Amino acid sequence: MFAYITSLVIFAGILALFSLGLNLQWGFAGLVNFGHIAFMTVGAYSTVLLTLNGVPFLLAVAIASGLSALLGLIIAGITLRLRDDYLAVVTIGISEIIRLISKNEEWLTRGTRGIQSYPIPFAKMVTIDWQKPLLAVLLIFVIAVIYWRLEWLVRSPWGRVLKAIREDEEVAKALGKNVFWYKVQAFVIGGAIAGLSGSFYAWQLTTIYPESFQQELTFQAWTIVTIGGAGSNFGVLIGSVIFQIYNVIFRFLPDSIRLDGGKFEAIQLMLIGLTLILLMVWRPQGILGNKDELTLTR
Amino acid sequence: MQEILQSTVDGIALGSIIALAAVGLTLTYGILRLQNYAHGDVLTLGAYVALFANTVLKFNIWLSFAIGCVGAVLFLLICEKILWAGLRKKRASETTMLIVSVGLALVMRNGIILIWGASPQKYDLPTYLAINFMGLIITRNRLVVVAMAIAAIIGLYYLLQSTKIGKAMRAVADNPELARVTGINVDRVILWTWIIAGTLTALGGGMYGLITNVRPTMGWFLILPMFASVILGGVGNPYGAIAGAMIIGIAQEVSTVCPASLGDLAKYCIGTEYKIGVGLLIMVLVLLFKPQGLFKGNS
Repeated sequence: MFAYITSLVIFAGILALFSLGLNLQWGFAGLVNFGHIAFMTVGAYSTVLLTLNGVPFLLAVAIASGLSALLGLIIAGITLRLRDDYLAVVTIGISEIIRLISKNEEWLTRGTRGIQSYPIPFAKMVTIDWQKPLLAVLLIFVIAVIYWRLEWLVRSPWGRVLKAIREDEEVAKALGKNVFWYKVQAFVIGGAIAGLSGSFYAWQLTTIYPESFQQELTFQAWTIVTIGGAGSNFGVLIGSVIFQIYNVIFRFLPDSIRLDGGKFEAIQLMLIGLTLILLMVWRPQGILGNKDELTLTR
Repeated sequence: MQEILQSTVDGIALGSIIALAAVGLTLTYGILRLQNYAHGDVLTLGAYVALFANTVLKFNIWLSFAIGCVGAVLFLLICEKILWAGLRKKRASETTMLIVSVGLALVMRNGIILIWGASPQKYDLPTYLAINFMGLIITRNRLVVVAMAIAAIIGLYYLLQSTKIGKAMRAVADNPELARVTGINVDRVILWTWIIAGTLTALGGGMYGLITNVRPTMGWFLILPMFASVILGGVGNPYGAIAGAMIIGIAQEVSTVCPASLGDLAKYCIGTEYKIGVGLLIMVLVLLFKPQGLFKGNS
């Protein structure tokens, strides 16, 4: 039971971190990123491959996060000068390419066979029973630090310009702000945070396959940000807790429904879709979003 | 050379299917200002309804395709009634509608898995021998696909160029505000947009099931080439979308050919698994250098 609760906490934490990255991009800068999973994939694979080759954890995570940021820089460089409604399709496309690379470039990622038995933090320091709880503590610490820095960022003049861009780009431009550069920064930082969540994801799973990084995770993050309220970091934390409870409730369904393989998953995903639709229709500002601050209508 | 010609033929078949679906996508994008990420799943729905009519109700394949189209149109009209009409009335932003469409795509795709299961299925059809035309292998189904796509596009051309509603639709797609002030009945235009989009897309789905098989993710995986075609052709321009789809379809197939005559150079070939990347690359290049589309639609 303790192990189960620990894994729930870790998964919720990973989703929270992942969604905090999306919230900076979408919630604060208004950038529609439908390929968020690409950052997590790059983060996870880089961490694992680097540590397998003897790079120490801290350095590996830093490089992995940096590579995710670099991916963000590439995407931003190509697309952010365009009309923002094209960003959605380009990000989906790039995440698809990253998925194809992880699946087909066997020399790098070992393809569909996946990567097993890579180093995991604390594995050599404590017994197996304490490994996951320590990972959970580390994750919570990382979330706390990221949350603190993000709150500081979005409250700074930088964050206020970002919100202004989200609401009306032309106004920000008229004030002489370099809108493109602000957007690039938000996109890159958001990508780096998602990359970091990828490191934890890999450590929690202990084996990663290309299938571990389903596009559905992107939409889970979207649901979390929408539940909590776009543009509210605290909302994202609440959103991921609610989302995890939502996941857990299903475990208590009768076995006859639950064990029916694909159907159970299909129902869960349908509910995610439905939640997204209903929230957007009835409460687009989420639980904590500020309706007066968000432009939700034309 | 042979390989390249062969993959051109395959590309035309794939391009025809993308073309049918992309016309629907570009019309909803241009007329309703809706980037519909559930559009690929409309294609899937059409294929599954046709499959149901064909394998369970034992109708012949042509009638099954027609039933698939009716099913998809009905579904789209229900969505319009309970979802899109309300959102437009609230003047929801384009991004809001886009996120709703992603939610709808998840609901549709998993609803289909719930009803019909996740494993690929096939129509109840006899297999025909492929035709060998000057060394090119063309399956009968591919010929059928291309012929039906051409017929559908001719029908679309007549509808858009010669009927009153078609002209109104083109006017709204080209300039919504101007169309409104000239007294065009926008509600009727919206209704017909969904009918045309649903019919063509479901037909595309039915035919895609002919050349591959029917599976729940078939449409979702086509959404990228569809959007690429729409952007290539210019948003709101149905003929542009058709041309764009042909370019994407053929480019995806031809660029991943690796003729044996290349010898040592073969290691530089693009693997067939990266087909979708070729379509994406073309799209990004167009976005960078000619964002209004190759044929200048409204941007």
